[in-house]
Amino acid sequence: MQTGKVVYRHSAVTRLTHWLFFIAFLALVSSGLQIFNAAPYLDASDKTDPARRVLQISAPADNVGTTTIFGHTITTTGWLGWTDDGMGGKTSRAFPGWLTIPSYQDLADGRRWHLFFAWIMVFCGIAYFIWGIGRHNLRELVLRPSEIPKLLPMQLYYLRLRKEPPLHGKYNPLQKLAYTLVLFVFAPLIVLSGLALSPSFDAAAPWVTAMFGGRQFARLWHFVLMIALCGFFAMHVMLVLTTGLRNHITSMITGRYKLGAHDGVGI
Amino acid sequence: MKRSLFIATSMSAALAGCGAIGSKLTGNQGFQSVLHTAEDLNLTLIGTHGLARQYSPNDISRDFPLNSFDTPSDALYTHLVREAFSPFRLLVDGLVDRPQRLSLAQLAAMPQTSQITRHDCVEGWSAIAQWSGVALRELLALAGPRTSAQYVVFHTFDRDANGVPYYESLELSQATHPQALLALRQNGARVTPDRGGPVRLKIPTQLGYKSAKWVRHIEVVASLDHLFAGKGGYWEDQGYEWYAGI
Repeated sequence: MQTGKVVYRHSAVTRLTHWLFFIAFLALVSSGLQIFNAAPYLDASDKTDPARRVLQISAPADNVGTTTIFGHTITTTGWLGWTDDGMGGKTSRAFPGWLTIPSYQDLADGRRWHLFFAWIMVFCGIAYFIWGIGRHNLRELVLRPSEIPKLLPMQLYYLRLRKEPPLHGKYNPLQKLAYTLVLFVFAPLIVLSGLALSPSFDAAAPWVTAMFGGRQFARLWHFVLMIALCGFFAMHVMLVLTTGLRNHITSMITGRYKLGAHDGVGI
Repeated sequence: MKRSLFIATSMSAALAGCGAIGSKLTGNQGFQSVLHTAEDLNLTLIGTHGLARQYSPNDISRDFPLNSFDTPSDALYTHLVREAFSPFRLLVDGLVDRPQRLSLAQLAAMPQTSQITRHDCVEGWSAIAQWSGVALRELLALAGPRTSAQYVVFHTFDRDANGVPYYESLELSQATHPQALLALRQNGARVTPDRGGPVRLKIPTQLGYKSAKWVRHIEVVASLDHLFAGKGGYWEDQGYEWYAGI
């Protein structure tokens, strides 16, 4: 092991796009929730169809917020449905003001934020992919079929049911699975499902909207993919916090990373 | 334990801070103009070229949402409703060679087209209806736009609570899109006063707010700057995109 050795791990492009992704992700999620609030329901259909409703957040009465998923209603007062109006009060609003941009109800500005940061995300994504392919460092992130048997031992290690992680390179097999899903499945799909909501894009490329099962269904997919990416984000932050916060932050700013006991081979 | 509590607290604070920072930035003119650059990019890259999908009569929504201001309370409009719109004249003027004043009978006598298309609201919902009437390009051909013409403006009978008139606009190329329709009928029946009758716009390749209701006057212009707040529409003047294709 080369524990303690400092290596140059993240290129300038990786570091720059990483922080731009971070800002764009926060802006997109919170402005997206703002946009969701304008029609706080999701249907598995092309046109709006209450018979095919998957999720509905509403305020059936003052001071009561409810969330209905697949027909099951739970009371979510204060969190969803009847929430913070972003101006110091409470109102009938799906997602609370502290989670949306702007904090008060403002669809026009929410859309401006969303459509601007969507482009930041896409441009960073393109730069990241071109750089990654050119420098061959995308390869290090992709899960290979031969590594599938290592997924379970790695999970057991995380659950503290196994002492040592399976042998791996710069990234462990579960990390690779997460990155592969995010980079090659979730990211392209969330962009496409967002574009599928555009009536002009739908007119130009109707197969995209059709692929998601119609416009409202694309809106549902867009939301589900957002939840999946938030899951990745939470996991990512948790791992950064628990496996050497300072080292990780330093390496994402300066590029220099101090190797740990399990950072293994293949640097 | 203390550390995880610190982390959880700081993460919640960071998240909650987002909205506050976002609200502050939204009010900043410079930041707003940066955000607005996305609209030009969308117009350039997506544009309004394709044809909106046509649906079958079975797809028509049973309950088309009613999502507008109340039916106009304007004195002239209420008078027209009482008279079943017989005195109604649609005015077409501005930078045209042959200004028009058309009655409903004259509009109905023009070649009619029909479409079953999906209406996509900026709020997120969609509804399908059949719309029939006069293709906007037929009407424009009748009036003959001059070479200086750039935009087509739609003035309506509608006003908001502060008396600000509702209007909309399209670029000439968008107004001559084959599906840009001056609708007289919805699902076979005359467009009712609560749905924007007697004449409303239907632009299926853009979000619903482009499809102005209660159209009374079509004005062909070279620039949108002199109209109201200068952004080309009532909702545009409130901050919504003039390019409503996305």
